[in-house]
Amino acid sequence: MSSALLEWSQEVVIEIMGEERMKTGLILLAFFFKIGCFTFGGGWSILAQMEQEFVNKKKWITKEELLDLVAVGKSVPGIMITNIGMLFGYQMAGWFGGVCAVIGIVLPSVLILSVITFGYDVVKNNYWCHCALEGIQAAVVPIIGSAALSLGKEVFRSRKGQVICLAVFLLCMITDISNVALVILGVIAAFLGRGVKRHGIS
Amino acid sequence: MVYLELFWSFMKIGFTSFGGMSMIPLILEEMQSHQWMTAEDLANLVAIAEMTPGPLGVNCATFAGTQTAGVLGGIVAVLGVLMPAFTLTLLVAIFYTRFRKSEVMAEIMSWVRPICIAMILAVILTLGKENYFTDGKSDWIAVGIGVAMLYLIMKRKWTVPKVIGSSAVLGIVLYTLSGLV
Repeated sequence: MSSALLEWSQEVVIEIMGEERMKTGLILLAFFFKIGCFTFGGGWSILAQMEQEFVNKKKWITKEELLDLVAVGKSVPGIMITNIGMLFGYQMAGWFGGVCAVIGIVLPSVLILSVITFGYDVVKNNYWCHCALEGIQAAVVPIIGSAALSLGKEVFRSRKGQVICLAVFLLCMITDISNVALVILGVIAAFLGRGVKRHGIS
Repeated sequence: MVYLELFWSFMKIGFTSFGGMSMIPLILEEMQSHQWMTAEDLANLVAIAEMTPGPLGVNCATFAGTQTAGVLGGIVAVLGVLMPAFTLTLLVAIFYTRFRKSEVMAEIMSWVRPICIAMILAVILTLGKENYFTDGKSDWIAVGIGVAMLYLIMKRKWTVPKVIGSSAVLGIVLYTLSGLV
């Protein structure tokens, strides 16, 4: 009964989406489920994981494209990693791919949290959990850092990239300007730059 | 209708925040006004969310939804918090996919890419301060694990799951040993 239902719903999805997209969508669901199991440290480790899976192994996107996805995903309201999942999934397999990626990425945390909800005092005060967590937190910086260095290689190659990066880094350190404001400033600067190039100021 | 309320509340939280800790004040306000959670519950939840993978917003939605209205409540709340991704981000994705090869977009991205790298570097610095120093003293076990993992990722090309798993084991072993001394 349930297998007949599954087959039928599969046929419906293929009918609407085309077989290729459905396949890609399910692959995305599996991949992002795996990624979702290991996103500690505020979600930024998704960068390292996507680089390993999609840039190095599968070669679906380039480093620059991944960095672009992160910048756009960070600038849209909501949770960054689900936004990145949607942007990437849409590029690969339309809206179905996007939805698959988002569901894949949140599924592990939903499953884990639903279990923990029923016994969270045990976990909260558990000595072993605490030690394991300390260890994981120590690994988050190298994970994100190595991804940032690798993704930034191209950026650091140009003088313009170096200057912008350093200026924004200092700005982040001194002020508590929001990431969205920074990206918007960048977009404005890009348009100003174009205007100057086109009309000249001299 | 508690399901609709949960969905609506978490949709509001999703649309008006940008993830992570920036969601806390909004979540607290919604939780208290509906009496779904106290401030203490939320503080505990943040501690748990740090121990488990996944975004804080999704973890909060699951927890609050499940506690208020069972498993279905949890699912409804999570769908609520995901609404920005399913609507706004989808629109952005359609727009972005169409224009990403254009000359204007290339110009914009030549600015935004270095900004993005800078933001990540700033996050790394903040996380480094939190994770390697406790009460002004450096935590040498954490530093050791960090350096070892850096080597394994950069030189040995270890994948993230492997790194997370082994650093959890290292954490248990090293912190237990240091507690015995």
